[in-house]
Amino acid sequence: MPSRRFDQARPFLTLGIILAFWLMLPAGLKSFVRASFFELTAPITLAASKVRDLQEFWALRSHSKNELIEAGRDQARINASYEVAVQQTAELKSEIVRLEELLRLPARDQYRLEHARVARRDFSAWWQRIVIRKGRDFGIPAGAPVVFSGGVVGRVVEVRASTAIVELITSPGVRLAGVIEGDSRPISFQGGNNPTFAPPTGIVELMPLDIIASPASPKRLVTSGYGGVFPPGLTLGTVIRAELGSDGLHKSGEVRLDERLGSLNEVTVLVPLNVETALPAR
Amino acid sequence: MPQPLPGDVPGLTVERRDGRDPRILFFYLILAVLLLLLAGGLAHQQLRRTDDHANAERVQTQRRIVHPGPRGNILDRHQRVLVDNRPRFSVRLLLDAIRPEIRDEERIIRRNFRAQDEADKPDLPTLPEIRRLARMSVVQRYLDQVNRILGRDERVDARELDRHFTRELLLPYTLLDDLAPVDYARLLERLPVNSPAQVYTSSVRHYPSGSAASHVLGYVGSTDEVGIEDFPGEDLRTFKMRGSVGRDGVEKRHDDLLQGEAGGAIFRVDPSGNRINPPLAQVRPRQGGNLTLSIDLDLQLAAERRLAETEMAGAAVALDVNTGEVLVLASKPDYDLNAFSPKLNAASAADITARGAWFKRAVQGAYKPGSVFKVLTTIAGFRAGVLQPDSMVQCPGFFRVGNRSFACPGGHAHGEIDLVMAITKSCNVFFYQQGMAIGPEALAREARRFHLDQPTGIDLPDETRRMIIPDPEWKRRVTGEAWQGGDTAQFAIGQGFVDVTPLQMACFAASVARNEVRTQPFLLHDPNRPRQRTEPIGLTPDQRAALLTGMEQVTRRPFGTARILDDPRVLPPLPGLRIAAKTGTAQKQTERGMINFAWLIAFAPVEDPRIAIAVAIEGDTPGEETGGGRYASPVAHAILQAWQESLSPARAGLKVPFRSSE
Repeated sequence: MPSRRFDQARPFLTLGIILAFWLMLPAGLKSFVRASFFELTAPITLAASKVRDLQEFWALRSHSKNELIEAGRDQARINASYEVAVQQTAELKSEIVRLEELLRLPARDQYRLEHARVARRDFSAWWQRIVIRKGRDFGIPAGAPVVFSGGVVGRVVEVRASTAIVELITSPGVRLAGVIEGDSRPISFQGGNNPTFAPPTGIVELMPLDIIASPASPKRLVTSGYGGVFPPGLTLGTVIRAELGSDGLHKSGEVRLDERLGSLNEVTVLVPLNVETALPAR
Repeated sequence: MPQPLPGDVPGLTVERRDGRDPRILFFYLILAVLLLLLAGGLAHQQLRRTDDHANAERVQTQRRIVHPGPRGNILDRHQRVLVDNRPRFSVRLLLDAIRPEIRDEERIIRRNFRAQDEADKPDLPTLPEIRRLARMSVVQRYLDQVNRILGRDERVDARELDRHFTRELLLPYTLLDDLAPVDYARLLERLPVNSPAQVYTSSVRHYPSGSAASHVLGYVGSTDEVGIEDFPGEDLRTFKMRGSVGRDGVEKRHDDLLQGEAGGAIFRVDPSGNRINPPLAQVRPRQGGNLTLSIDLDLQLAAERRLAETEMAGAAVALDVNTGEVLVLASKPDYDLNAFSPKLNAASAADITARGAWFKRAVQGAYKPGSVFKVLTTIAGFRAGVLQPDSMVQCPGFFRVGNRSFACPGGHAHGEIDLVMAITKSCNVFFYQQGMAIGPEALAREARRFHLDQPTGIDLPDETRRMIIPDPEWKRRVTGEAWQGGDTAQFAIGQGFVDVTPLQMACFAASVARNEVRTQPFLLHDPNRPRQRTEPIGLTPDQRAALLTGMEQVTRRPFGTARILDDPRVLPPLPGLRIAAKTGTAQKQTERGMINFAWLIAFAPVEDPRIAIAVAIEGDTPGEETGGGRYASPVAHAILQAWQESLSPARAGLKVPFRSSE
């Protein structure tokens, strides 16, 4: 009888032994095991993402020829406008270089653009993250800024061989130094506590008292460039509310963020050409 | 061995027992008791201790932040800012959050010491030493992180860190203070959100005009006593930002008015300690009340500039004759108030001490008034009936009292001289004679009538009480010696034992200008302040006319001792402004030799006095002739020039006009 009761407790005993063994393992080994686990699961994440792409591809295949022709025509128009924008950008870049040389200004931080598809979204009350399908193999460093057509997406917080985790600016763990468009005084921006299906918001603090913002008269918040991580002028969101903060010296407020942040498929990582100086030591 | 029951599947190991088995019943009883205990405990915890648990949960998950309210601004009479606030950014370390790291560091330090070779092994440090090393190491680690971000090389001040751990453990430790906007922006972006090192803001005083009126405005010091009334959550973990309290000047005198009302917020925090917005409760801090001083910034700056050009210590005071409001209260040397914001460092404090700049000469400097006192002697003579407007005196250049001889300035013999010319040329012999005739008691009585023997009661702390109006009784009491005739002669010309402050002499000048005996100076501006009315001096029109004529002639060429006010080659003219003045050059024997003190009192316009001035400058070289006409007159001129400009039509619309006499 006692031996039978021991048999019944065996699973709990085994679990206890495993837990005790895990707790006694050296920290380095645990870290290695954890990293290995993520690296091993990375192909599954990638495969699932690619399967979704394939599904999307076959879904698109089901469209009629007329729809495809129409889409192709729209695409051609967009391409044409982008070509013009690319030309203008090239001209502006050369003008900037000329002015920098003329005024002997230091060159702006240089970035290499690395486009990546979103493999998985991981949204919770505590963090809002996406996993992208590029990682260390593509030279993506931790801390690198990530952007999309609507502005700032977030910051790379963890890099693996073939994937990277990006913490979105909707997450309370992200804080940036922004400025109101046309102003030069830095403002603290931090992601808010965003429920999963609610419109994303952030909070601003240390806003000068003379800045007035309301839903009727919103103010565009852009990156300041002072922090050294994000280049200046990228859209963070729109300040829709500003009221006297708890210190009495500044205003605090609410920022409305781009709703597309919750459904991104493609993002661009800005990889600094000089990673050592451009990114914070982590 | 229990028998299988009907329906049991053969081979199953489930045991079935008869409920009536006494052993089982016993266990049922125990089980029932345990269940009852459990239910009772549950009920106790859920019903009776609900509030306790709710409170414990509240204390664990909520944090309270208290911010001091910004202090009120200090403005000049035309609402221009003399003192306001500016945000100050600092990076601070939450000591509670690094406690585990410090404990780990202590273990590492202890292990490293033990691991050293026996031969080289030093004595194991004591526990307090290990703790000090550990916290120093951990704090420096965070400072290094900040250094990397900002490209600096700052080190932790070990003594300051020890002091903080001993006295202010609950408050965050300041790693770096007074960060530039770019620095705090960089830290905002690069410091992890949940790092124990975070950027904080506080309010510090800002002085747009630097050292202007520094002795009037005073400065503030920091305090931990930031109270918030009627705000819940006193039992919560509270982060209090340091406040400020007035330490000197009007900041101290009117601290109650300037002090802001503290605000606070209660936040729910996540398991990592990050706060969750919006706050559960919030009271916004309220700025303290603004204080409008009677000081006129233009006049103050003009006086200070001119005083500084003399490169000597001195003071200048200007009053609105009718209301007694102080327009200028300047004292040199002084200090840049921005050096106190956020905190005066040791080097700056030592520099201020070395220059003697703590001393507020305008209200603390008790000087011999010299010849400016002759105005009071004249009034005393008139009232005693020993002096008439047409009195004449023969001045041989010296005056003998007993076996002592007292000379006129430079030994000049003025010959036969009347009152007006005696004032104009500041003839000592004339006033020696008048003083001897008046007597020391009557002179002292007249001086006390003008309240020269007591502080003015201005709204400033630290006004001196060391002013002296001597008489024979005073001398006997203080020195134990009898009053001599020479003492009276000296007293009559503002020498000897008499001591007054520049502020007192400005009040005296305003009183003479109004033909009354007292002027109460005010530092707070009140646009509806009534004209002061006190006891009239009691001079006949002829007597007053003679006195004013003499004082006006002081500012005129060719004989006036302040004639440079009328000399366009020396000072720009003051068109249409009739000035009554009296200069003085007092002597004081010091260890270095005889030092001169330059004096001037004045009021203008003579026909309708609206501004009264007193200037005193300390000579710095023994034996050097530091005359009131040469050194003090330009300061008064600068004040009068700025005053005239302030009345020009182009600026009159921007400012509150002076109250003219009724």
